[in-house]
Amino acid sequence: MTKKTKPTNNNIKKGPGVFSLLKPYRGMVLLLLLFALLSNGINLALPKIVGNGIDAWPKNYVLVQVLTEFLSAAVIIFIFTYLQGILQVRTSEKVARDLRTQLAYKISVQSHAWVEVSNPSKLLTNLTADVDSIKMFVSQAIVSIASSVIIIIGACIMLFSINWKLALVIVAIIPIIGGAFFFVLKKVRVIFLQSRQVIDRLNKVINESILGAAIIRVINSQQPEYEKFLEANTKAKSLGLSILRLFAGLIPVIIFTSNMAGLSILVIGGKFVINGSMSLGDFAAFSSYLSLLIFPILVIGFMSNIIAQASASYQRIKAVLDVPDIPDEGTHAETLKGNIELKDVSVTHGQKPVLQHISLSVPGGSTLAVIGPTAAGKTQLLYLLTGLVKPTTGSILFDDIDLNAYNKENFYSQVGFVFQDSIMFNMTIRENIAFSNSVTDESLARAIATAELKDFIDSLPGKLDSVVSERGTSLSGGQKQRMMLARALAINPKILLLDDFTARVDTNTEMKILKNLRENYPGITLISVTQKIATAGNFDKIIVLMEGEIVATGVHNELMKQSPEYIQIFNSQQSTSNYELQPE
Amino acid sequence: MNYNLNEIAATQQKKSTMGGLRKLLLLIKEENKNLLMALAAILTNAGLNLLGPFIIGYVIDHYVVKKDYNGVLLWAGILLAMYVLAAIAGYLQSRLMGGVGQRMLFKLRNSIFNKLQELPVDFFNQNKAGDLISRVNNDTDKINQFFSQSLMQFIATLVTMTGAGIFLLSINLELGLATLVPAVFIFLFTKFASPWIKKRNASSMQRTGALSAEIQESLHNFKVIIAFNRRDYFRNRFNEANTSNYASAIAAGIANNVFIPVYGFFAGTAQLIVLTFGIYLISTGRFSIGLLVSYLAYATNFYNPLRQLAALWTGFQVAMAGWDRISYMLNLSTNLPVIAGTGKEDSNDAIMEFRNVSFGYTEGKEILHHISFSLQRGKTYALVGPTGGGKTTTASLIARLYDPVKGEVLLDGRDIRSYEPAERSNKIGFILQEPFLFTGTVRENIFYSNEAYKNFSNEALEQTIQAAGLQTLLGIFEKGLDTEITSGAESISLGQKQLIAFMRAVLRNPDLLILDEATANIDTITEQILQDILNKLPATTTRVIIAHRLNTIQNADEIFFVNAGEIIRAGSFDHAVDMLLHGERES
Repeated sequence: MTKKTKPTNNNIKKGPGVFSLLKPYRGMVLLLLLFALLSNGINLALPKIVGNGIDAWPKNYVLVQVLTEFLSAAVIIFIFTYLQGILQVRTSEKVARDLRTQLAYKISVQSHAWVEVSNPSKLLTNLTADVDSIKMFVSQAIVSIASSVIIIIGACIMLFSINWKLALVIVAIIPIIGGAFFFVLKKVRVIFLQSRQVIDRLNKVINESILGAAIIRVINSQQPEYEKFLEANTKAKSLGLSILRLFAGLIPVIIFTSNMAGLSILVIGGKFVINGSMSLGDFAAFSSYLSLLIFPILVIGFMSNIIAQASASYQRIKAVLDVPDIPDEGTHAETLKGNIELKDVSVTHGQKPVLQHISLSVPGGSTLAVIGPTAAGKTQLLYLLTGLVKPTTGSILFDDIDLNAYNKENFYSQVGFVFQDSIMFNMTIRENIAFSNSVTDESLARAIATAELKDFIDSLPGKLDSVVSERGTSLSGGQKQRMMLARALAINPKILLLDDFTARVDTNTEMKILKNLRENYPGITLISVTQKIATAGNFDKIIVLMEGEIVATGVHNELMKQSPEYIQIFNSQQSTSNYELQPE
Repeated sequence: MNYNLNEIAATQQKKSTMGGLRKLLLLIKEENKNLLMALAAILTNAGLNLLGPFIIGYVIDHYVVKKDYNGVLLWAGILLAMYVLAAIAGYLQSRLMGGVGQRMLFKLRNSIFNKLQELPVDFFNQNKAGDLISRVNNDTDKINQFFSQSLMQFIATLVTMTGAGIFLLSINLELGLATLVPAVFIFLFTKFASPWIKKRNASSMQRTGALSAEIQESLHNFKVIIAFNRRDYFRNRFNEANTSNYASAIAAGIANNVFIPVYGFFAGTAQLIVLTFGIYLISTGRFSIGLLVSYLAYATNFYNPLRQLAALWTGFQVAMAGWDRISYMLNLSTNLPVIAGTGKEDSNDAIMEFRNVSFGYTEGKEILHHISFSLQRGKTYALVGPTGGGKTTTASLIARLYDPVKGEVLLDGRDIRSYEPAERSNKIGFILQEPFLFTGTVRENIFYSNEAYKNFSNEALEQTIQAAGLQTLLGIFEKGLDTEITSGAESISLGQKQLIAFMRAVLRNPDLLILDEATANIDTITEQILQDILNKLPATTTRVIIAHRLNTIQNADEIFFVNAGEIIRAGSFDHAVDMLLHGERES
């Protein structure tokens, strides 16, 4: 047994210790152990009562006593097992709930970059599978191990008190079974790790085949996807069979060992009975204690695996919980005037420079267009302005005050951001647009009107209360984009950031929206990433971004004289731009 | 067609557990030989293990009591041989049954995956991705847990119990019947409590699903939560889901725990009956002390497995609940079957023709009304019009992601429904509005499932890319073809994704290529390169371009104006622009 618990002990010392997790629940755990102790302790007495009954059979008067003893023991066991069950569920669920709450709180105060790096799927696993394995530890391992140890010790004491020589023989099976477990579980854990990777791969193929369903059908690549899947599935099967082979060997070994113990009782105990050093009743009780002894040994073996898994899970959870909070030291809570300035800002992702030495100023109430090729860093520039990405060097000032000095809550309530990809929540249209909690009905109506969504929403049977399906599959690309705009406008922002907003909106609608914007939100500072020269032409200032650097700044006419890059972009659109520049 | 699994589950009548089990067992119908051998091993193992206490009792009565030690030793030898045999049978039983379980799981996963591949896009639009993923991953795992770990135990337990019951009754009928009385109570209790337990577990499973859906949605949209300062939104929604999950998990847990004390109590009662009634029988001379010792062992052999059965039964209910959820999916079939080929219908040279096509995604809400048009070989067509007008829907019908409700779609003069999927997808290329990339390298994504380049070396692939004029496009990827891509990650921009989707479609060399706002987030200079590439496609390639940017469509041979589910031929480019700028938006 010492052998068997050793790896577990090592794990506990290494990590933060899954047992330390139980500290706040000390009372509940102690009560739980007490219940387990009582119900199991009394359980131990049962064979002895039966043995006494057998020994006493010629004298009938003891029968009543045996009967009452046995019955009251059974009732007490019933009560305590029941209480233990309830307490076990309550404790483990409480631990799980509290852990989840802590994790969720921790995640909710982290930055966007941290969540991206940590990988949302991994965080999902932390919150579900990892918490579940700790729940399993609390609900099963603690009580099982405690009661198993009690039963083993108790049974051993009883065995030794009945006949120490025979007891020694029986106790010899414990290390044999322990050794078999240690050997098998060590091998199984290695295979478990491999099979977890295979299952991950399996799930990835499944996930991609669901999310990429449309392209797979267009290309008719069901067969190659199936082959990918089959490969992983076959591997999963063969690993499953390897685990099976190990366990298939383990169980018979254990049963055989315990049968051997039973046989020893017969051979050695039989001899003792024959030479009169042991009573028949004791002999029967010995057999009963043997069957009591086997099960807890098995339990400890299996539980050591659960503890190992829970320790690993707890280490992963702890890693998230130990991430330092982002200090929000910002206290500045003035109303923004909309002046934006970037001073020599650079951003690098790993080795890769994304933005280099960007200096830029945008006066409040003015408009700025950002134009440039694919992967030039345009989106990253907007992320910088909202703090989604932190500058590696340089500083970002709003009204001459550093972005970091702003109270985040106050800051975000004044900056509207329309993302390039459509992000819809599975909620009503009203909740999707009035996503921030400071939105009034009036500002909601104005935002919807400005985004040219009123007619569309009115045409829906549920109007504003229609539920948007997940990923917005029920809406067209342009409708989603306009919903995103309405969401950003609903907070009455002082600064509006548009990321390639015009890409999926037709020219006619785009013009109406820009006109609405000027009328309904006068004085707003607008920064728009766009591909269209025609749109950019109406802006107060245009910057041309290439490979993370600003290569030209100015208004349309200036850039047409100074910037070959801009002229190139212009030429690529020239034949049609006269149509788009037409005033309506 | 209704593909919404949650609605199907709500309308479906409650299926009996046995009916569901029978369908699940169809997956192992070829395993008869293994199952028979496993059954033999189980019977041998259980029989030998059951015979043990009987022999011990016999030895006590005939040798220990009579102080014949040699007899004890003789029988001990016989027992040893039996135990060895039992161990071998036990090993075989685990191997065989476990193997059946693993192969069944393998088949189950395969058939689920095949079903997923067979079902149309409509199915994926009607169900939440998170819900589908949870069905395929978690629910299969529930079945897996039962079949890989519990099934064998379940059967072995049943066999042991039956055997023990037979021994109990055959040794002494009266005592046997008395011993089995508590089992009747257990049976009644189980029958009474099971539906309640299943219900509580099902509701707990559902809440757990809701919790993980909640986490998934919030975490994947974290940037919106930050930019709109709604960290509290995440916390509140999460807390709500967490609290309700907590409550239902406790309810389910308490329900699951109810069996253990009850079974324990009845098992104790049974022992008590054996003891008192047995002693009474001994005192009247109808029973022996040795028999009583083995009898106690048989009672334990009967009631201990029963207790295990309680736990296994809960696992079984959970597995069957998972199987229900999966079988709703397996029962679905595609609404896009291949119909019998009708050969070439007419000599019309159009590659694609719509004849009086009407279509709606949901019944009663028509999106396209009586559309007719034809596309000629080698020409470039543009579909323009306001958002929500039906452009993407038209394109989806061309690629047969859906079938029209009325009218017909002809590909190469033949009903598009008569084409095998492989043939159709070779003819039609479709660059979707939202590009999807698979985890892997840029190379793997560009040549994804492209039979023509399957066995090409890296150098040959590079040459292909050069020949197609794509090499300049690769320049914006950090490591060119070898750049790693993680599906769904933000490591590359939307424009870059669109470039990969473009290259992927062009290199497949389709007869008809549809670009649905395929270049919307690509800058206009790169777009000109794409235009050149499109122009270099064979003279017979037909192109259908959906775009808002006018310069994207200016070279079209013909422009269709799509609005409010109707298609109007725009005549000239000027006319199209005029309609776009001044036409009434009706959708």
